[in-house]
Amino acid sequence: MSAIVVEGVSKKFRLHTDRAHSLKELITRRDRNAGIDQFYALDDVSIEIPEGSMYALVGHNGSGKSTLLRCIAGIYRPTTGSVKVQGRISTLLELGAGFHPDLTGRENVYMNATILGMSKKQIDGVFDDIVEFAGIGDFIDSPVKIYSSGMYVRLGFSVAIHVDPEILIIDEVIAVGDEEFQRKCFDHLADLRRRGVTIVVVTHGMATVETMCDGAAWLDHGVLQQEGPAADIASAYLRRVNEHERAERQAEAVAAAEAATEIGTVTEVDPAAVTEAWFGEDIEINDVWFSDSVGEVVATGTTGEPLTVNISYRAHRSVEDPVFGYMIHTENDTPVAGSNTRLSGIETGKIEGDGVVAIKMDQLQLLPGNYEFTIGINDKFVQHTYDRHYRSHPLAVRRGNLPIGVGFVELDATWETASETGHTQVGP
Amino acid sequence: MSTPAQVWSYRTLIVNLAQRELKSRYKRSLLGWMWSLINPAVTLGVYTVVFGVFFGAQAPVAGNGESTVFALWLFCGLVMWNLFSGVINTAISSFSGAGGLLTRTYFPPECPMIAGLITVIIQALLEGGILIFFMAVIGNLSFTMLIILPLFVLMSCFAFGIGLVLGLMNIRYRDVFYLTGIAMQVLFYATPIVYQMSILSPTAQAILRFNPLTSYVGAMRQVAYFLDFPTPGSWIVMISSAAVSLVGGWIIFSRWAPTVIEEL
Repeated sequence: MSAIVVEGVSKKFRLHTDRAHSLKELITRRDRNAGIDQFYALDDVSIEIPEGSMYALVGHNGSGKSTLLRCIAGIYRPTTGSVKVQGRISTLLELGAGFHPDLTGRENVYMNATILGMSKKQIDGVFDDIVEFAGIGDFIDSPVKIYSSGMYVRLGFSVAIHVDPEILIIDEVIAVGDEEFQRKCFDHLADLRRRGVTIVVVTHGMATVETMCDGAAWLDHGVLQQEGPAADIASAYLRRVNEHERAERQAEAVAAAEAATEIGTVTEVDPAAVTEAWFGEDIEINDVWFSDSVGEVVATGTTGEPLTVNISYRAHRSVEDPVFGYMIHTENDTPVAGSNTRLSGIETGKIEGDGVVAIKMDQLQLLPGNYEFTIGINDKFVQHTYDRHYRSHPLAVRRGNLPIGVGFVELDATWETASETGHTQVGP
Repeated sequence: MSTPAQVWSYRTLIVNLAQRELKSRYKRSLLGWMWSLINPAVTLGVYTVVFGVFFGAQAPVAGNGESTVFALWLFCGLVMWNLFSGVINTAISSFSGAGGLLTRTYFPPECPMIAGLITVIIQALLEGGILIFFMAVIGNLSFTMLIILPLFVLMSCFAFGIGLVLGLMNIRYRDVFYLTGIAMQVLFYATPIVYQMSILSPTAQAILRFNPLTSYVGAMRQVAYFLDFPTPGSWIVMISSAAVSLVGGWIIFSRWAPTVIEEL
């Protein structure tokens, strides 16, 4: 059964480039339609979101994701088409919407929760959970204007997820708070989904889409590009983003090179720009995927289990000893680990045509969380980049059965405790 | 279009919005709630001095047949006027003030306006209570004062209908806010609040009768000062003006509010 059916929805906005701001202008101006441009924020979009699923809307900024979200929430009325919604909706378009700075956290929680459609009795029932989840403590009875921005946002999120909705609509607000709070939020969303809540989310985190969502829709300039299983949409979207990025970089570099040739001083050109102009010219990365011990393609990894990163490439000409490298980042841009074949002392030899290079890990040492892989191929002196996929391969790592520590990686270390009677080894 | 039933289902929100407004209004002020009494008291004092003392205006004899207290006669009219202007001004400000909320979550856009209305009615009840208290002090008291409540209801409906439309228009054209301020000043003196109808020429009196506020103020004085019933004529004017204003205002508001919200 579908919780939300969007049928042929278009939303037209009037762009007031030079609109009358006063009655005088309105009366004195002859042509009232001059300066009013119309544009379609959504153009004939149809999607169905099944009940109890988590659904993502992806697309670049200004693609109409938020407009669609607002149409579903009933804030905007579609110009044409219809939106049918089955169930009670709770929206989370901005954290702490309606927080009044002078009122206390407690007063604001009640206010905010009623805006989201809860009764006083319901709020009484979950009030302690809300405060607990937000980690606000005694500050709950202080005016929210003295809150840190983190506290403010945590309280807002906490209220929104404790509303007991049938449909929850979230606009790019998950990316708040520290790592720990984010994980708490995701766990809670997963909980809600298990209870049968339909969740619609706008996000730029493709890892979120792949690991948490069932379905996804990809919008571009208000037009639905593709709809389907979340993982497919995420990779299709990422592919497009990569292509764009590459095309842009090439265009920039070519322009720079042309400008340099005209002046006749090639030395002034940023060498990186020139090399990047030829991205993929000699060797190109075709695809990158993750697989498990038996070679099965996986979208997630598990701490302590084997994982292989596969890089398929195509060499358009014969290349001597190219260097394959990787870098792992957290979602928050923290570099975790990286290496390449040269650092590892491996000579790749002469390559030509298609091939696959694999990075094999017997035990994935990354701790649960979302990571992004950068994959690159350089010349043998690592001076020239043949091709590079910058942070475009997300990997979500899940917890396995092993006991694990905290941080980003699980080191291969053992404990040794000394007692008076001798040595006791505890491990691993 | 939001039906009254939909709005009713959001009553908790309305009460909370009204509470928030009342709680935050006098935060960080020393006198707090006293301000809601000081303002009307000062207005009343100034008008009493200017019109009662300087111009020597006389109040008619009250319902108990002996008292003529200009300040109380004036206060009857002011209470009604404060309710009228309060409802309209609050409607305008609460709609533009709720803009941030309305674009982020769905609820009937009437809610913040009704919440604003509630705060103004509370203020009017407070003033009405003070009026009755002083009437009791001079021994001018009667059960006709109970009619103040239905008068408040009618006045609120009348003003709220206008406020809905002005609040809506104000989003697109901020001139509405300023125009309303001017219109209120003119209307104040075009209503027999600080003077008696009888001091005017017959022509002026006839013109003033087209102003529905004349009936509301007159009816208030009938029940609270003269301790009598409002005339049937003023009942007709009040009930019809309140009904037309509220229904018309609600229809216009429901029709255009969703479009206007997108511009907030």
